Amino acid sequence: MKRKVSSKIKKVSNLKYDRKMADEPFEWWGPSPDEARRTMSNKAKGMRDKCMPLKEAVGRYVRDGINIGIGGFVNTRVPVAIVHEIIRHGARNLTLSFQSNSICAELLAGAMILDPERVSIRRVELAWWGYEVIGIAPLLRYLTSNGMIRLDDYTNYGMSARFKAAAMGIPFIPTRDHGGSDMELVNRGQMVECPFTDKNVYLVPACHPDLGIVHVTAADIYGNSRIFGAHCTCPEISMAAAHTIVTAERIIPNENIRTYPNLTEIPYATVDALVEQPYGAYPGASYGFYWFDMDHIKMFRGICDEFRKTGKKDGLKKYYDEYIFGCETFDDFLSKVGYKKLRQLRDMDGGQPIILS
Amino acid sequence: MPEYTPFEMIAYTGSRVLEDEKIVFVGTGLPIIASMHAQLTHAPGLSMIFESGPLSPILEMGMPLSVGDTRACRKACFLKGLSAVFELTQRGYSDYAFIGGAQIDMYGNVCSTFEGGTYNAPQTRFPGSGGAGAMAANCEKSIIIMALEKRRFTEKVEFLTSIGFGDGSADYREKAGVTGAGPYRVITNQALFGFDEKTRRMVLLEVLPGKKAQDIQDMVSFDLLISPDLKEMAEPTAEDLRLLREVCDPEGYFLNRKVK
Repeated sequence: MKRKVSSKIKKVSNLKYDRKMADEPFEWWGPSPDEARRTMSNKAKGMRDKCMPLKEAVGRYVRDGINIGIGGFVNTRVPVAIVHEIIRHGARNLTLSFQSNSICAELLAGAMILDPERVSIRRVELAWWGYEVIGIAPLLRYLTSNGMIRLDDYTNYGMSARFKAAAMGIPFIPTRDHGGSDMELVNRGQMVECPFTDKNVYLVPACHPDLGIVHVTAADIYGNSRIFGAHCTCPEISMAAAHTIVTAERIIPNENIRTYPNLTEIPYATVDALVEQPYGAYPGASYGFYWFDMDHIKMFRGICDEFRKTGKKDGLKKYYDEYIFGCETFDDFLSKVGYKKLRQLRDMDGGQPIILS
Repeated sequence: MPEYTPFEMIAYTGSRVLEDEKIVFVGTGLPIIASMHAQLTHAPGLSMIFESGPLSPILEMGMPLSVGDTRACRKACFLKGLSAVFELTQRGYSDYAFIGGAQIDMYGNVCSTFEGGTYNAPQTRFPGSGGAGAMAANCEKSIIIMALEKRRFTEKVEFLTSIGFGDGSADYREKAGVTGAGPYRVITNQALFGFDEKTRRMVLLEVLPGKKAQDIQDMVSFDLLISPDLKEMAEPTAEDLRLLREVCDPEGYFLNRKVK
């Protein structure tokens, strides 16, 4: 197998890079596969009640310098409650890993802009960061154009495959994308010649976050989790991560899990802390419970865009003081959003069918 | 002919390009609308696949506002996550990639990563590849929506995010390790483009009624090939517009946007 072959990508585009990432020695941006394996083999695997307050879960697993794998997809089942608590707790020098995200990444970026001594992002391995129909992510644009964070770009499949490789316990996975694009020149993947076909194939490294943060439809107290609607990459992230915090819309009896074990997407052994948090993805959507709150996302995005254009932090500070630092828990935040809005979002979900029994 | 907006023309043309009995991997916005219109008209057997996980949903709750919208999952036949749908695509189950982007070159390479500056300190950073890079690599044919402007139809893209025919060499995609055949159509509101089989360069296939090939060339930075069989683009009928406005995008999220 030939290492370091390449496609014919060079000079097809005008890409200029001030740093040749592909030529740098390879480095894991979180636990190596061996370290991730050791963490898992050292864990107690008993079925124990993992429910705890979110504050305790975040206090236990969040520390400076870790890689946080963020679940959901854009505005769907995004772990916003956990992100709020991480911001209150503080965590510096973070690496973030996700396929596509909106509000979670922007919330952490806003916290960094307000007080880098509390929260800071060092680098992000990702496929996409934005709000889709609502617009571009202003804080991504601010941090990148000022060279304040380092990005490592993959496709949505690339990031999903990287979590999947980690979940499978293998150090890399071949993919049929990235090759022939400039991602081949800038990301940490590697083109090789396949030992069986003798043709080029692109390998991406496994991605083991130190901490996976995931919001699910329902779980039992041990962490066995069901996900309805799109799974996104949540099962893979939970299994890839050294530790995983799960928030669930609903805690259901273990009896229900055992009745339909096929419905379990995340097995208990991969979950370290569990929090029942209704509306835990708000202002994102959670299939079967509520649709996303376009007004709130537009409002927050507008505040961020105002900062990007003027450099004034007043609006941003007001949002965080009101909705994050002015709240002891995520329920306090939801109280500020108000029952009427939550009720309206529940109606807009339209009663998508889920199975809790 | 009834009046229509540029976005309605793009959606209608997108619909025309899609064949029946195929699977189309859709991006947010106009690709979803075009696919819904095709299903309602000439392609009832067309299925959509969305990158968050669903295959062949029935979009009875209305147009999903994004490919991650929970409404895209409604009454799907198969619903897992990103890995599953992209693996189906690698395996060859997705006939069309339907994407957009910020810049395109004559070989159908698309940029959606950044503009200006360098990779590590870009002037304008875009959201990134998302699914587009994987779709352009591994769906059989890529359909790309682009605004017809000189700065977008460019000699060289600033960052090659979604693979087309690369430098135009015959083995570019093979050396890249991708599986799909590559760019198929580029849709704008004033012209429809395809790609020449021999040179893999962009070919002007159709123009808006009243426009000439030179009008289109004037809005493109590279030399276009012109089809010897250059046609006029078909325009949407009153019934097509009713479907687009009342069924596909009744709130006007994508069809009523202002052209910049």
